[in-house]
Amino acid sequence: MLGYLRKVWKVRFFWITLVRNDLRNRYRRSIIGVGWSLLHPIAMTAVLCGVFARLLGSDLATYAPYLLAGLVTWNYIVAVMNQGCQCFFVAESYIRQHPAPLAIYPLRTALGAGIHFLIGLAVVLVFTWCLRGFGNLPALVGLLPAVLLLFVIGCSLAVCMGVVNVLFQDSQHLTEILLQILFYATPIIYPAEMLRERGLATLVAINPLAALLDLVREPVINGRLPSLQAVGVGTAAAALAAAAAVAILWRFERRLIFYL
Amino acid sequence: MTLIRLDDVSLVFHVRRHGRISLKEYLLNGVFRRRKQDSFTIQALEHIDLEVAEGERVGIVGPNGAGKSALLKLLAGIYPPSGGCRRVFGQISSLFDIALGFEMDASGWENIAYRGYLQGETPASVKDKMQPIAEFSELGKFLDMPVRYYSSGMLVRLAFAIATAIEPDILLVDEVLAAGDAAFQAKAYQRMRGLISRARAVIFVSHDIDSVRRLCDRVVWLDHGRIRAAGAPDDVIRAYLRQSAEDAGKKAA
Repeated sequence: MLGYLRKVWKVRFFWITLVRNDLRNRYRRSIIGVGWSLLHPIAMTAVLCGVFARLLGSDLATYAPYLLAGLVTWNYIVAVMNQGCQCFFVAESYIRQHPAPLAIYPLRTALGAGIHFLIGLAVVLVFTWCLRGFGNLPALVGLLPAVLLLFVIGCSLAVCMGVVNVLFQDSQHLTEILLQILFYATPIIYPAEMLRERGLATLVAINPLAALLDLVREPVINGRLPSLQAVGVGTAAAALAAAAAVAILWRFERRLIFYL
Repeated sequence: MTLIRLDDVSLVFHVRRHGRISLKEYLLNGVFRRRKQDSFTIQALEHIDLEVAEGERVGIVGPNGAGKSALLKLLAGIYPPSGGCRRVFGQISSLFDIALGFEMDASGWENIAYRGYLQGETPASVKDKMQPIAEFSELGKFLDMPVRYYSSGMLVRLAFAIATAIEPDILLVDEVLAAGDAAFQAKAYQRMRGLISRARAVIFVSHDIDSVRRLCDRVVWLDHGRIRAAGAPDDVIRAYLRQSAEDAGKKAA
């Protein structure tokens, strides 16, 4: 395991460059560049605020940052899963030519999505600060473990989805459908209280994505460190995902080229 | 000292007839216990025994589809053997499919750097190599342009220049000498000779029988995934060429 990580570290400049190129190519021909990846969640926030704030009876100053933080985090998960599905196909010419630890390709995906997430998070922080200020600045430290857990989960998901999609090519479509369903089952547009009031508290408790979202939202919106339960579920989810990723790589890495 | 050892190695590809399997198909086949054998089995390599000692230069000849590239990729560690044992004692440097793996939107300079990184170099170590590579490729100002706009000849020159800017331990070469115009070919040949003389062991696949004869001290004739003959270059090459002529004659008749 350590030897494997060392091999990944050895070619670090290669995957760092791939990440940099991905970011550069994505916005090569556009004027506002990286701004596009922010425009999407901001636009969605604006629309959803207009539609739902009144319906849910929420105060805009609380709802808008809540929504934006949720959307930015959700977009990271979606990106990591969808692009993760493609990560080995995209890198096929490298894999066929040069034996390198295959984990570098999902890593590249997770890092690229992660950078977008961090930029989005920065926007959320600025946005929240303008709208309502931060009640409890030190609580923002709680974001660090959140980002770390999200990164671990992102890498693991990218590995799992990448391998599964090479073995079964329709996994990508199934993933997209699953994510759509999860989007509505997770408290992103609406507060978790809505589900709890209707006796669906278990749905929130077992949803690891809800926990991850809370890890990000609690410090930013409520100025609190996230609840122990959220941290527990988030860590457990990360550990599980990482274990699955290691197992999948261990089993399939050598033979993956036969399926490409 | 043995640097490469293949013991009874085989390589099998299972290729599905109609593209890749979907999850739906996989589950349905499981549920209804159907055994749909809708695939080709390609025995790319069979009963390959090969031992390469330090200082040896082994050439591999054979008709198209004999398994030469598959053998090289197996040696490089890209394909795991389906049977038998592959042991390599040393660092492999491979020269095949060199036109693959370019970042199309990046400039020539950047691509030089990327190839270096893939081989584990750092920005510092790559910087020293950039100028010599650029000079060898003779691309000059074109290196500032994105590689997407290169002609195929330019791409191949750049690929060759980058791929051969290495200090090889065990060198695997697959058909890279068909590069560029006559002048470049001469330079390329000299470069290959330099690489081959510096490497501890070389496995050289080529259809250019002359190069094989000149550069190698042992030749293996591969046909339909099996070793047909191995030994002194002149003998094996003569046998191979005779067989090829016979086959050509049969086909024409």
